[in-house]
Amino acid sequence: MRRNVLRWWPLLAFMVLLAYPWILREPYYHFLGFNMLLYATMATSWNIMGGYTGYKSLGHSAFFGLGAYLVAIAANQLGWNPLLSAPLLAIVVMLVAMALGWIMLRTSGSAFVIATIAMLLIFRLLALNLRDITKGAPGLSQPLPPWPPEFSRMPFFYYMLVWLIVALVISAYVRRSRFGLGLLAIRDDEGKAEMVGVNTTLYKVLAFGLSAYFVAVGGGIWSYFQTHISPVFAFDILVGVDMILMTMLGGLGTLWGPVLGAFILIPASDLILFTFKSQIHLAILGALMLLVILFLPRGILPTLQDWLERRRAPRAAFVGARAMADVLAEQAHAADGVQPVPDERVVAEEAKR
Amino acid sequence: MTALLQAEKVTRRFGGIVAVNECSIAVQERSITGLIGPNGSGKTTLFNLITGVYRPHSGHVYLRGQRITGLQPSRICHLGLSRTFQITRLFWDLTVLENMIVPVRQVGIRPLFGPGMYQHEQERALALLDRVGLTHLKDQPAGKLSFGQQKLLEFAAILMSGPDLVLLDEPAGGVNPTMIRFIMNLIRSLNRDGVTFLVVEHNMGVVMDLCDHILVMDQGQKIAEGPPHIIQSDSVVLDAYLGT
Repeated sequence: MRRNVLRWWPLLAFMVLLAYPWILREPYYHFLGFNMLLYATMATSWNIMGGYTGYKSLGHSAFFGLGAYLVAIAANQLGWNPLLSAPLLAIVVMLVAMALGWIMLRTSGSAFVIATIAMLLIFRLLALNLRDITKGAPGLSQPLPPWPPEFSRMPFFYYMLVWLIVALVISAYVRRSRFGLGLLAIRDDEGKAEMVGVNTTLYKVLAFGLSAYFVAVGGGIWSYFQTHISPVFAFDILVGVDMILMTMLGGLGTLWGPVLGAFILIPASDLILFTFKSQIHLAILGALMLLVILFLPRGILPTLQDWLERRRAPRAAFVGARAMADVLAEQAHAADGVQPVPDERVVAEEAKR
Repeated sequence: MTALLQAEKVTRRFGGIVAVNECSIAVQERSITGLIGPNGSGKTTLFNLITGVYRPHSGHVYLRGQRITGLQPSRICHLGLSRTFQITRLFWDLTVLENMIVPVRQVGIRPLFGPGMYQHEQERALALLDRVGLTHLKDQPAGKLSFGQQKLLEFAAILMSGPDLVLLDEPAGGVNPTMIRFIMNLIRSLNRDGVTFLVVEHNMGVVMDLCDHILVMDQGQKIAEGPPHIIQSDSVVLDAYLGT
């Protein structure tokens, strides 16, 4: 029974989300729900690069803003439907990300983080200054959605839900593919990965492009949702920071961690904002994050998983203990100068020869 | 007869130090060639030049007559050249089996999006793990293995890409005598199957016993080469090791 619940919970969660806009009918809750799905999608996307590959970009807001602006411009100048153009124009953003990634991914560690911030600032400057296209600081408006205003947010909610599912399916698929295995190898030891035949440049550039894609889709849908966008909000570094915090809270490099993180952090941040009604909510949020990093450094899901495994897997503990005993025995023997026996099977194998 | 691997007058400097100086070596197909020399004589740097970690400042490296200088290390690996490291390097968070699968030779983009592990690959990985006695640990993270087991895993994993030439950097370093004999037998049996080896090793007993041809380096240059019994009594070699 318990196992069944574990297996079917994504479906249960999906049903709950389907019913959500009809249970909580206040427009505010539709707004909140859309934001949760939007950030869950973007954090899932960021996680492909930051979690699986270990390259933590602080500049993913650049792809958010780029997606938002491309969709708004296409709507105004070409009359393209934003909901359809968002996934299409996100492909353009993905290609831009891959081209920039090809340059930025020559760096790693903190140099890479700084390069991504620089990239974000450049795009923000462009959005502010290419006034012919972007209308500068005041920003761009686009036509309102055609459906009646009392339902206005519900289609966005469901559309975002579709994209969260697509992002999760892709993320899960990547995790299990040869590509994902290569990404995890790069996270562990990039030099070694290259040496055993993983084309690390190709893998990293592809992962970077993919992780930009769903962020750009999110940006495009968000821009229609807002109807008015400006550089300050579209290219806001906090959007990218939020993706990172959510992923780290839920579990870096896990499939569901970014979703869990977004579903906790978005309502929590709103709740704190409404309770204190001032900018102090940012400080409180910061303090909460500090607590998480101190006490749950690996995030909620990996910590929970460890705890569950330790409770119900004496066998794993036994293997672990045996490995440890092996190490200790080997060290003791080495100290005595006595030849340790590596393993019965090794010796048997050798005797056969 | 052209050699399987040839380095021609490769040079690499680090600042003012010439780590490898116009060094030329040749490794014959199906041989077990030893590469010895005092500490700092440039052996590991030469390995790094051959495998593409560093680009030589001058000179070229050829594999089967094809120039591989300046190629990406992964490309060189695809051409059939693999190596181990002096200090064992594994993917510590991945399982033993996953460590075996990462090096499976992948060319191009298409195979990337296939499943992480095909049945036949898994069978091959398990067969190799069985050969080094690690099958029972296949689902453990590599970081949990003992030092000797890690060394065996690194060796077994690089074989998954089906290399023609394997560069071993101190395969006997820091392992107990039983394990040394085991590793030597493994090298010999792979060699009989057609794998060529270039081995850096400080344990002279192992080198003299294992190798059929020995190259000696000192101060970035090759100072002697020949079969073990000749090298053992070569005065130039003795000078390099014992000082003048």
